[in-house]
Amino acid sequence: MEKEIVEHGLNFNRRRFLSRLSLGLGSAALGSLLIPDLFRGSGAEEDGFIPGIPHFAPKAKRVIYLFQNGAPSQQELFDYKPKLREMMGQEIPPSVRGTQRLTGMTANQKEFPLVGSFVDFKQYGQSGAWVSDLFPYTAKIVDDLCIVKSMFTEAINHDPALTFLQTGSQQGNRPSMGSWLSYGLGNENKNLPNFTVLLSRGIGNGQGVYSKLWSNGFLDSIHQGVQFSKGEDPVLYLRDPEGMNREERRAMLDNLAQLNDLSYQEFGDPEITAKVKQYEMAYRMQTAVPEVMDLSKEPDDIIKLYGPDCLVPGTFAANCLLARKLSENGVRFVQLYHQGWDQHGNLPFEIAKQAKDVDQASAALVTDLKQRGLLDDTLVIWGGEFGRTSYTQGKLTKDNYGRDHHPRCFTIWMAGGGIKPGIVYGETDEMGYNIARNPVHVHDFQATVLNQLGLNHEKLIFKHLGRRYRLTDVSGKVVHDIIA
Amino acid sequence: MQKKLIGIAEQGLFASAVFISFLLVFESKIAIPVWLQPIGRMHPLILHFPIVILLLAVVMEVFRFNKANSMAQSEGRTPESPAVTASLPEFYRTFLTNLLLVGALLAAITVIMGLFLSKEDGYTGSVVQWHKWTGIGVFYVATLIYWSRKKSWYSPAIAQLGAAFMGLMLIVAGHYGSAITHGSDFILGPIAKNKTTEPVDLQQALVFNDVIRPIFEQKCTSCHNPDKLKGELALTDVESIRQGGKTGKLFIAGQPEISLLVKRIHLPVEDKKHMPPLGKAQLTEDEAKLLSLWVKGRAEFNRKVIELPVTDSLRIMAVAMFKPAEQVEPEYAFDAADEETVKKLNTDYRTIAPLAKESPALAVNLYNKAMYSPEQLKELSPIKGQIVSLNLNKLPVKDADLRYVGQLENLQKLDINFTDITGKGLSELTPLKQLQSLALSGTKTTYADLRSQIGGFKNLKTLALWETELTDNEIQQLKKANPNIQFLAGFDGDKSEPIRLNIPQVKNSSTIFNQSIIPQIKHPIKGVEIRYTTDGTEPDSLKSPVFGDKIVLTENTRIKAKAYKSGWLSSPVATFSFYKSTHKPDSVNLLMPLNQVHQADGANTFFDHKLGTFSPNSPAWANNWAGVRKNDMVLVSEFKKPVSVTSVAVRTMIEPETGIFPPEAIEIWGGNSRDQMKLIGTTKPSLPTKKSDPTLTEIECKFKPQTVSFLKIVAKPVVRLPEWHSNKGNRALLLVDEVFIN
Repeated sequence: MEKEIVEHGLNFNRRRFLSRLSLGLGSAALGSLLIPDLFRGSGAEEDGFIPGIPHFAPKAKRVIYLFQNGAPSQQELFDYKPKLREMMGQEIPPSVRGTQRLTGMTANQKEFPLVGSFVDFKQYGQSGAWVSDLFPYTAKIVDDLCIVKSMFTEAINHDPALTFLQTGSQQGNRPSMGSWLSYGLGNENKNLPNFTVLLSRGIGNGQGVYSKLWSNGFLDSIHQGVQFSKGEDPVLYLRDPEGMNREERRAMLDNLAQLNDLSYQEFGDPEITAKVKQYEMAYRMQTAVPEVMDLSKEPDDIIKLYGPDCLVPGTFAANCLLARKLSENGVRFVQLYHQGWDQHGNLPFEIAKQAKDVDQASAALVTDLKQRGLLDDTLVIWGGEFGRTSYTQGKLTKDNYGRDHHPRCFTIWMAGGGIKPGIVYGETDEMGYNIARNPVHVHDFQATVLNQLGLNHEKLIFKHLGRRYRLTDVSGKVVHDIIA
Repeated sequence: MQKKLIGIAEQGLFASAVFISFLLVFESKIAIPVWLQPIGRMHPLILHFPIVILLLAVVMEVFRFNKANSMAQSEGRTPESPAVTASLPEFYRTFLTNLLLVGALLAAITVIMGLFLSKEDGYTGSVVQWHKWTGIGVFYVATLIYWSRKKSWYSPAIAQLGAAFMGLMLIVAGHYGSAITHGSDFILGPIAKNKTTEPVDLQQALVFNDVIRPIFEQKCTSCHNPDKLKGELALTDVESIRQGGKTGKLFIAGQPEISLLVKRIHLPVEDKKHMPPLGKAQLTEDEAKLLSLWVKGRAEFNRKVIELPVTDSLRIMAVAMFKPAEQVEPEYAFDAADEETVKKLNTDYRTIAPLAKESPALAVNLYNKAMYSPEQLKELSPIKGQIVSLNLNKLPVKDADLRYVGQLENLQKLDINFTDITGKGLSELTPLKQLQSLALSGTKTTYADLRSQIGGFKNLKTLALWETELTDNEIQQLKKANPNIQFLAGFDGDKSEPIRLNIPQVKNSSTIFNQSIIPQIKHPIKGVEIRYTTDGTEPDSLKSPVFGDKIVLTENTRIKAKAYKSGWLSSPVATFSFYKSTHKPDSVNLLMPLNQVHQADGANTFFDHKLGTFSPNSPAWANNWAGVRKNDMVLVSEFKKPVSVTSVAVRTMIEPETGIFPPEAIEIWGGNSRDQMKLIGTTKPSLPTKKSDPTLTEIECKFKPQTVSFLKIVAKPVVRLPEWHSNKGNRALLLVDEVFIN
């Protein structure tokens, strides 16, 4: 055998070498005519994108997303429509309703009487934005907010709409916005997960949230959202068991890492290194998390700012305060979900309580970030997955009504992170049913968020199963009008 | 035959020369009839033939006097194959001659067509002129060469010179021709360095120069320029724009509706007069709007964008246009740091990352209190010129450590909120000439320190001072003295309206006990006083006792508690029920099934010490409420050792509106064996009325003390809901979460 190899080497003479070389050169020349990344493996390196480094200098470094799960009714909070009160009880004109698909809950309803807000609105701040009386605290900070009244989505039910807003696709199994950001921007603080999730629940009719919403999809699993729970252990199984000290833990991890390294050498599966990284992160989190989660040192005026509930674990206020602390510690994306906004019926009663739960703490978060000089590079987003109808669902009585899901328009607000403060963007028609000016699609919104973080949504790409995936799928336009 | 053909061709060539001369002489007096125009327009089709043929002829002409050719010509033989070589020079010569003739003829046709075409609109300007005369030159030179090359004076030198001259002219004519159709920088366009348009500052931007002219340049001037002048219109300079074109003035200031410019761009695309023409890059909606607005605003040429009113649509759109210019990456004068060094300095507790791709600027963040040491700052010295942002928030940074920070010459943003520094350390930071943002919240900085140091920070734009010792008044003073700095003084909780405290919370893992319990009622806010009552009255801040840890309960107790703290409004009343449950059965069985959707934990539900709540939104809600509707709830409890019992209480939910009612009756059966139980007690609770509020109550059935091993509890749901109920006549739902046996 050895002889053959030697002979083969000797037979490989100059002429053959050269003829092969020319073939090689020729194919290299041909190759240069092909699409540059035709044979490239992962999407990561496309356009020279390096995961963890933004495309351009970002305005915002972190995001706190106060997701109002269940779809808050814009007619009772931000989108002031006096016309609806005037037309109370009248059927919605077919020209307004158009061909809008209805949910199974109102599709069989015989009439669609318009209903105005039970609560009054006033104008606030220099921007003169209209805010309902349900949001007295939010009203005080309107000059820090960019209220977008012309959001619209494609889905009409909670799960697809929520999934669409979070992952850019209605079907799920794609990476969540936080995972994309973690992938695109990398860790600022390696002692805490880059993407954390906090859940809370209001009094109102709730809709589920599930871990697929903070899934890393096809991205590396280190980009998965980490849910912090409200109990004594915010991150489960983070504490060392009784009798184990830090040194032992360290030695254990080192030995485990060696074993893992051996199997990585053998199989080359990148998930093994991801796992090792997660063990290391967990080790560092053992000291970092208790420090962050400790609310006992917050001074009284902070507690007054967020409202006393901020010390009751699991409330929206507590999660807002935690979000600020996590963000302050460099967590890229803090995702809050507050359930209970799905007022199909009994709306006036439920929404009042629901609004009270979130109003003070949402406003406090913006104020708090601002006073720390953090609002400039932290983007705060508040909003649900779609809007609610201008007509009532179920029976309209003198003081009670409900509203069904409405994807054609809804209101969100953003603050900080290089978004123009003190503006109201977009308008709906006078019945609050269709967008009259400056529509913002969910993908436009996502593109804008990415843009604020220094990422070009068309270049933040991951190649998976032969396709290049983006958060904004194949559309989305940055809304330059709301960028400061 | 061949000779005859050549004769005809030569005559054609001569006639063409005459015709072209005629066209040139009378150019200004000729009008091309419409039916001839298509012939003119075939100019770009035909012109490629003379180019190729004449170039080939030129090359062959140069080699005509080549030694080999002339040798073969004179000797007529070559050693190897006489037959072939003998005919070669002959063939070469005739081929060349005919080639030249065909080339010249085609050049003539091309020139004629070109002259026809040039009579159409839009072919004026220097490029067209150059193309015209070099093209004609090619034709004449080719013709001249064709006629002269058999003359005796036509020496190799003259032939080569003539050939070279014609080749050159051909190239020049071709070049200008292509410049007409494709523009002058067509070929080198892709590799030529992109013209970097200087980002214009919005403050300086002119409406015409920086908003309108770029639109013309991108979409219009490729045809409307002094060289091409389509429709006799040039949009390259102010004078020509004012002048307009063949159809008239471009616009009437202030009246976009009747202005030609606006009309043309708004015609349907299919319209022949729509501009830009079909097939060319179209104006975007915004661009069209901008042009209309410009004309509407009297089409001024020297106005600044910011001179327009803030609400002016043109201004709003223009400002949006300048956004990308503003977004241009900040430029840094320094070079990037060594990648390896950055990589080495990046640790788990110190992240160093470039601001953006290809940006030399670095942002540094330090985290984790326990891992902090001044060394971490000192080690940054190899990259001290590149760091623009440093975050040391909440780390135990001392004044002395700041001397390392002071070396970061390009630092723009420094966050030392809640560190151990005092104002004394600030002097270490004054060398930071680029510093724009400084966050000192939660530090021991004092007014005196700031007043003396703040002058050293020339570029400072924001200063965060929240939670420092500075008073409002002092911050106001600083503000006055430093109008360029934005002070973030934060939110002062003490000044806002008092806020209501939230209710106290019970911390016992269960409020059900078998002998006694120490209630743990706490409040999350420090310094809160909890006052309570056990008699059902509302607690009050003076008379009611303060809740302490010495209280022991031995009976069912309902504690009402309220939280108080100075500076706050008192909390609403919170009610905590503590239930005594002396006997826990050793086994429990249900004799009748539970409602399908209210299974809870089956028979175990009733003695698990877990209470249910109202909120049906909580996923755990259903875990605690066992319910029946169609049949009685029949529960048999077994005690291995006989127990003495005096009462049984059933805790139920009552929500009249949704049809959740208390039981109509509860029967308690007892005995010493499973099949020999006697009725020992019955109770009939009062049923709710229409106005009753939802409650959670326990319904107790008392009886004479009995010693039993078995107890059967029968709870009968309401069979017919009362008349006032929306679901009248139907069965009510009975929900039970716990049973107490005492």
